[in-house]
Amino acid sequence: MIKFASPLRALIPVLVVLLLLALVPLMSPSNRFLSLAISAGINIIALYGLSVLFGQTGILSMGHAALVGVGAYTAALLARDFDIGFWGSIPVAGVMAAIVAAVIGIPSLRVSGHHFVIMTFAFGQLLTIILTNGGEYTGAATGLDMQQPVTMFGIALDPLERFYLLVIAFVTISAVASWAIINSSYGRTLRAIRENEKLAAALGINVGRHKIGAFIVSGVFAGVSGVLLAYFLRHISPGQFASFPSIYLALMVMIGGARLLLGPLAGGILVSFLPEVLNLDPVQSRILYGVCLIAVILFLPNGLIAGIADGWAWLVKVSKRAQASGDAREATR
Amino acid sequence: MKSNLLRGAAVALCLGASAYAALAQDAGDTVKIGVVAAESGAFVSAGHTLPAGVGLAVKQINDAGGINVGGKNYKLEMVKRDDRTDIATAIAATQELVRDEKVAAIFGSESHDFTLAMAKITQPAKIMHFAGNSTLGKVLTPDAVKAGGENHYLFQSEPQEFQRSGSTARGVLSLLEPLLGAKPKKSVLVVGNDATGQFLSSFYITALKAEGQEVPDIIFYPPETTDFSPFLTKAKSFDPDVIHFWYNGDSTLTALPQALELGAAKSYFLFGVDPGIWKERGLTADVPVAMSCVPVCWGASSNPNSKTYFDAYFAAGAPHGVTSSVSLLYHDYVHFLAKAWEKAGSFDPDKTVDALMSMKYSGVVSDSLAFNETHQVTHATEVCAAAPGGEITCSMQQPPEKAPE
Repeated sequence: MIKFASPLRALIPVLVVLLLLALVPLMSPSNRFLSLAISAGINIIALYGLSVLFGQTGILSMGHAALVGVGAYTAALLARDFDIGFWGSIPVAGVMAAIVAAVIGIPSLRVSGHHFVIMTFAFGQLLTIILTNGGEYTGAATGLDMQQPVTMFGIALDPLERFYLLVIAFVTISAVASWAIINSSYGRTLRAIRENEKLAAALGINVGRHKIGAFIVSGVFAGVSGVLLAYFLRHISPGQFASFPSIYLALMVMIGGARLLLGPLAGGILVSFLPEVLNLDPVQSRILYGVCLIAVILFLPNGLIAGIADGWAWLVKVSKRAQASGDAREATR
Repeated sequence: MKSNLLRGAAVALCLGASAYAALAQDAGDTVKIGVVAAESGAFVSAGHTLPAGVGLAVKQINDAGGINVGGKNYKLEMVKRDDRTDIATAIAATQELVRDEKVAAIFGSESHDFTLAMAKITQPAKIMHFAGNSTLGKVLTPDAVKAGGENHYLFQSEPQEFQRSGSTARGVLSLLEPLLGAKPKKSVLVVGNDATGQFLSSFYITALKAEGQEVPDIIFYPPETTDFSPFLTKAKSFDPDVIHFWYNGDSTLTALPQALELGAAKSYFLFGVDPGIWKERGLTADVPVAMSCVPVCWGASSNPNSKTYFDAYFAAGAPHGVTSSVSLLYHDYVHFLAKAWEKAGSFDPDKTVDALMSMKYSGVVSDSLAFNETHQVTHATEVCAAAPGGEITCSMQQPPEKAPE
């Protein structure tokens, strides 16, 4: 019972935050806000996958936007060539991104640490080059258009408020899936690899296979996120999945924190809305992100949310200690 | 005393109410025009010309008393949003302008991809949308622009690419010929490898061949390139008479000194670089260098309307930029749209499209701007050439009537 209640305690705050976010349309927000919130939500879905890879396994991918691109292009090609709509493309895009992740993962994960980071970065660049030079099939540098509407039980989900709720639903599914992975024996295996790869191998864990597995799992999240992006923007092109978007995804997960469930949510919202709230141009934004990243690495190595949680725990401990010493003084008198 | 107080309060209330009504009336008599452009980020060079061009046109129209639509006078108001060269921000800005600000028309963006994604919002909402991307030719098909079509309210304020490429190729070669002492025969293209670069170069290579040029290769460089030496070395191996740099003016100005250092060709062409920048930066070359503007140059123009326009444009605070002339792909069309609203006697988008399609407008770029059946304009392009001594000559080049085979 205790074992079950404890992990559930980690999920509840996320579900509460998502429930509150789902109520946002009731406050009649501006369409600009809703549009940016949808973009942030789509990123957060990919971030939950990245948090499994980075937070649980300790592997950082710098080509994750390319896997989002695989999902987006799969959706666009399925719609164009096979007339398969949104719901049909979700599983196919997830599987395609997982297959591509496996193809990159098998050679890349033979190396570790910064070599893997460089290889995933190179993969991101390579995919952009392939898409840019893919001729009529990939739409070359111009990209592809999406025409199909998104519907559910005959209801059009394209209006901004409904698409926002759809994205919130997918973020919730991603958070729950991520929570289930973290709290499964598989998640514990991944954490064992993260903490001490050699010890994990000595215990009989197939380290290589599990690392590739984690990359594949994170690919599924990225693929689903790509489908939502394609259907939201209605036009995709290679530039959207190049190196900078990948760096931003890594930045979001590092700032928010990859090990706690609230981390991807906080990172995605912060990085997406900070330039908007502070009215920063891209150069100022990049300076701010850089400063934030250095500050997080130096002072909050597990991310903002873990830092806040640690700070809160420290405050509770200090206040309890103060209360205890106060009680002791009282008793002495 | 009490009745006087009451009377005073009633008068004040009436005055307040009438003042409020007058203010409300003023607010109601304003028509909003949205602009989505990169005022920061990678595309800022072209992006800042959009609000500058539209803003100048709005000011000119308002200073002249506004527009009269259906017997009522209206002022225009520009509502601009910076897309930060980011597609998610461009989409959010368009959603805001269309749904929250209720603009009657949108101008922008400077990026092909952004414009296509924006059109997915503006067109179902029946918002007049003008963009200066010749790449829109791909989506402005007869079926798409007909009444009820998916892009019925989308207009391209730049000529069809075969026209622009045709006038540019002809102008470059004819201006370089006397400076080289012989007609150039061999050309190599060095082009940014993105949507615009791929699209433009496919037309330009055809235009060069139509002018009798041998084009042994087209060399694509990644858009972020700063070291052009590998591409220029390859270009030099063909011993070209002209290297044509397309299409980003900022990249082109980075590549040219490297090309001059390497002695990569006998002459060069820089697309989208204004001779004004050439003069202001004190650039020199020991070989002839041709330049073209989109569509009319501010630095050394042969267009009589150009000086008056650019004097007003720069006086309004716009900076002297490589691509300041891009503002003309927007300025003239604000005036054109205003005339269309007046002719239609309504802001109804369908009536406005009908009016636009039946009109000609005398603007800075051309005395007879008009949209063809696929919502695209036709006008000349200005090409200039700097001799090794520094003298610059310019000429307006009319577009070919038909696309070359």
